[in-house]
This record gives sequence, C-alpha cells and structure tokens, in this order.
Amino acid sequence: MAEPLTHNLVHFTRYLRAQGLRVVPDTTTDLVDAARAVGLEDREDAYHAFAAVTVSRPEEIPVFDAAFDLFFGTGRSRPTPIEPIELEVHPRGPRVHVIAPTTVKVDLGDEDVTDVSDQAGASAVERLATRDFSDLTRSEFAAVQRLIARMVWRPADALSRRWAPSAKGTRPDLRRTLRQMTGPAGDLMPLAMNAPKPRRRPLLVIADVSGSMERYTEMLLYFVHAARGRLGKVEAFVFSTDLSRITRELRHRDPRVALSQVGMAVHDWSSGTLIGEAFAEFNRTWGRRVTRGGPVAVVISDGWDRGDPAILRKEFGMFARSVHRVVWLNPLAGRAGFEPETRGMKAVLPFVDDFMPVGNLADLTAVVRLLESVPKRKELR
Amino acid sequence: MNNVDEVLAALASQRYVAERSLGVAVHLALELGKPLFLEGEAGVGKTEVAKVLASILDTPLIRLQCYEGLDVGHAVYEWDYPRQMLAIRLIEAQGEGAHAEVADIMSRDYLVARPLLQAVEATAKGERPVLLIDELDRADEEFEAYLLEMLSDFQVTIPEIGTIAADRPPVVILTSNRTREIHDALKRRCIYHWIDYPDFEREVQIVQRKIPDVPAELAADLARAMEKLRSMDLFKPPGVAETLDWAAALAVLGTERLSPEAADDTLGVILKYQEDIERLRAGGVDQLLATAG
Repeated sequence: MAEPLTHNLVHFTRYLRAQGLRVVPDTTTDLVDAARAVGLEDREDAYHAFAAVTVSRPEEIPVFDAAFDLFFGTGRSRPTPIEPIELEVHPRGPRVHVIAPTTVKVDLGDEDVTDVSDQAGASAVERLATRDFSDLTRSEFAAVQRLIARMVWRPADALSRRWAPSAKGTRPDLRRTLRQMTGPAGDLMPLAMNAPKPRRRPLLVIADVSGSMERYTEMLLYFVHAARGRLGKVEAFVFSTDLSRITRELRHRDPRVALSQVGMAVHDWSSGTLIGEAFAEFNRTWGRRVTRGGPVAVVISDGWDRGDPAILRKEFGMFARSVHRVVWLNPLAGRAGFEPETRGMKAVLPFVDDFMPVGNLADLTAVVRLLESVPKRKELR
Repeated sequence: MNNVDEVLAALASQRYVAERSLGVAVHLALELGKPLFLEGEAGVGKTEVAKVLASILDTPLIRLQCYEGLDVGHAVYEWDYPRQMLAIRLIEAQGEGAHAEVADIMSRDYLVARPLLQAVEATAKGERPVLLIDELDRADEEFEAYLLEMLSDFQVTIPEIGTIAADRPPVVILTSNRTREIHDALKRRCIYHWIDYPDFEREVQIVQRKIPDVPAELAADLARAMEKLRSMDLFKPPGVAETLDWAAALAVLGTERLSPEAADDTLGVILKYQEDIERLRAGGVDQLLATAG
C-alpha cells in the first residue's frame, strides 16, 4: 500500500472523529485493510468499504458521505443534505440559566442534612422544602439545588431473567448440585438453589417544557440530571410542541454544562403544548428503543394541552402499556383547591398509577421515596 | 469469491438480491476475518444473509437466537446432568466407600455444546461454519460483554476442563433490530452495515426472484404500495418480509393486479397494528394504488 494513502487515511480518520463519528486509532488500520481487500479502482466499492469499517449507526451515514466526498472527490453524488451530528449549533443561545452554587451562601442549619423531609429541627431547610419553586429567590434556588444533589436514592429493584445462587431460591442449580455430589458423601444430598437476580429498573422521564411550565423547568431538569447521576439507567425527553431526546446532553457530570447543552439542543422552549402529539412521536420513534426492561415512566407536566384530547387518550394509553408504571408529576397539584380538571389531565388520569405534586423540594423527596416502593409486578388495570 | 462482483453473483444465485454496499460488506468480512454486524428494521433480510452465505460456502449454519436472560448454559455449553448422575451412581455401586471425583463427571464427554462452543469446535474439524447471532438487541448487556471477549479471540474457557480455542475464526454474522443501541466496543470489532428498505426496482426484483409465479404487474403494484406505506408514519412500517408474504397471499387468491378490494382484504398480512390499519383505512386504501407523480 502506497505511503501517501496511509497518510491520507490517518487524516481521514481524524476528520471523521472531529465530525462526531466514534472512530478509534485502529480505524486507520481497518481502512488500509479495507482498501487492500476491495482495491481502489472502483470509487463506489471504496466508498462502501470505508463506510463499513467506520460507520456504526445509520445517523452517521450522511456525515460519512460528506467526509468521503471532501477527501476523495465528489464523483458519487447523493441528494441527502448534510447534517453534522452532535456538532449542531442553533442560532438561539441556551435558554436554561443555572446559577453557580459557589457564588451563593445560605445557612442550611445542620450541614449533614440529606433527607429534608425527615428533619423537623432544621428550620431553614424545612422552610425551603415547602416553598414553591416559582417563589424562590436566586440564592434559595441554589440552596435547593444543593439539597437535590445530596438526596439519597434507593429505588426498588426489578427481577432480571438471569439467575444467581440463593438459599431461598426456587429453581435447582444442577451444576452446583452435581459438583457437590462428588467426593465422599453422606446420605443427604442437598439441592443447590437459584433465584432470579435483582436488577436496576430503568427510569424514563418525559418533561413538559412549554410556556406554562417555565418557572419549574430548570429546577426539574436539575432533578432529572441528579437522577441520571445516581441511577445511571435514565432516558430523558422534553416536549412542548415537539419531542426531543436529551439523554445524551444530560450525560455531562456538571449540571451546569449538561443543562446548557440541553438548552442548545432543544429548540421549542416555552412554546405551546401538544401532549398527545409528543406521545405519538414517542410511540412511533422511540417507544420500542427505550422501553426495554420495564421502565418506571415519570411524566412531568401541568396537563395544559392545546391538542385533541382523543389523540392524547389514545397515544398516552399506548405509552402507558409499554412501561412498567406511570408516575405523573404536576407542579400545580400541591396548591390548595387543586383539581385535575384540565382536559389534558382528564384524558390521561385513567392511565396514571401515581399522581403527585412536584412544586417544591418536599414533593421531590416524596417522588424519590415512591421509587423505593415500586412493586415488582406491573399493576393491571 | 475473490471480489465484490463474485459475492453479488453468488448471493443472486441463491435468490438473494443485494445492494452493492452489502456485497462489499460481506466481501470485507470474509477477507478480513471480521464479524459482520447487520442492523436494520425488522424484515429487511438480515437473517437471510447468514442462511444464504452458509449455503454458498457449503458449510453448516449455527444459529444462536438471543433473548433477555440468555446465559452461558444456553449460549456456550451446559453439563449433561442426567449422564453425570448416572456416572456417580455407577461409581458408587462399585463398592463400599467408592465415590466420584470431579474429574470423573466433568470432562468433555459430559458437556453439551451450545451454539458458540459448537462453532469453535467445528473449526477443529477443518470446517468454517457460519455463526449467526440473531437479534442481539434482545439479549442483555451481560451477554454482550461476554460476546465481546468471545469475538476477539474465539475461545471458550470451561473452569473444569480448560480453554478450547478455534483454529481459525468462523464466519460470524450478528443482527440487530435496533430495539436498543449495541455497545460501541462490540460494533467496533465488526464490519458494520445498515440494511435499508430496498428501492422500487429492487423490491420488484426481490418479489420476482422469490415468488416466480407472481405476475410482473402485481409485483410492481406491491412495490409501489410498499413505498407509499413506508412513507406514512406508521407505528410499524412493513418490511420486505411483509411484501413477500403479501405477494404469496395474493398469489394464493389468484389476484392479477392489486385492487383496493384485494388490498383491503389482505391488510392483515402487512400491517400488524390495529392503529396502523385504521390510519390507512381513514385515508382510503386506494391511496396505495395511486401511481407516483
């Protein structure tokens, strides 16, 4: 293989990485091998061969196409427009503003407080815990965020379809039993038993970020970020008129960075609400890809909906059947005299397992507690 | 098969109509000895590639169907418990104080080989089997991690016996319907190919190759209707497998051309969600017949 080609392929690999493809240094070797295997006489074959060793998901194909054309000329044209993945920058700046916790000092009373609702004595914390998020001052806001970051998460496990040794198991482990039967044995032959292995149940969060939710959005996304950090298996989406997946954006450890990435990725902050359409989009595009393993679905919305209640009922029903449990969090539900009487709320309530307020810190703590007692089996309706 | 054209010709000889890109991916996988990772919607012919390849290469197809909870006992090997039991009894019957040792009942003779071990052992007999690991997205992450190790050195370690290694790697084909993302580390070891729905001409070819008694006009009608259905934002768009089922169903009914009535009568062959059937009927089944442009 000619040296200039290898050199070229090194640059090609680097360029692909800069464009967001998940390539590794070894990819260059793969490219050289691929070039050797198909030859370079036929552009189209070279194109397919290079794609086969660098692309690993369909979304990357247009990015690869553009890179290939750039490096190896544009003999083979494709009508698809080029959209670089992950490097997408929207003209609008981040709409989520997060206050740096270091600039704020608030007396939290006892510094070891981790579980706010259980601390009767810590009056400052208690006052914060029951104050509606929309009434917080900027410094209180940061204090609440710090308390969220220190919450203790102990979600209930689900049972996996794998088995592990257990004295109280229900299924004999013949491999271990037979092993125990070797060597001098007595008359008693104990059966070794297995039981289903517990596994972490995934969490699926779908949050409304429309205009009516604006005063709660930032704090609730902060909460979702904390959940992701603690639980790992969290899929997150936001919607107002469109649905956007924000799982990848939330991955950054620093909540400020993560939330500003979310801010850039979502383009319809604070617009109207079409809940039914958002769930239709979820069911079509994401439903089968992120509902494996029976997630607990947490939907955060005030239920104000401009769409057709019939669509909402149908799509939300379908959604509810594809998850283990539906928890609906409504920031308005904690207010005195609240009745879930918006058209949207009425349409979805028959499918909701737990309906809870989420206006303040104590409410969030209650949600975390609820996740500790999610039953192993799906409740039938 | 020394080049892409020969691969495509061989696939065609087995009545598999492939895009050139798939031919390149198969050629690379065979040449470089890497696993081939095929991803795509359900029913676009991923599994079929493995079956066809096994018959082209005239070698056994070893298939591992993945599911949640798939473990070593079902994927790699399991001990033959009844035989072990009998062996223990036989030894104990030899007299007072006689007892079995681990080595007596845990040798290769008492092992039942499951697909992965079968594939490794077949190479010792000079074969190069096609190992199909089907619908990997259904298995859980634990199995994926095991596979990662397996695909890099093609050896199986059994604590009581030792390591059994393949003489040379089998032809490995992995498929995924993308119900979840497969880990990058695994994909990186493979030649990756996304199988898309075929375009109109290719779908007509596929129907005619697979079901020769379907009239040419009907094959074109079906390919056109499928193109329309896949653009309709359905919950589950029909794949090529559905096209073939549909063609076979209409052939059984003696249909020459696709009419709205014939389509409506047989919707259950291609659409498997009531919501999708309702959606199509709401817009009128005859929209499937409208010619393009």
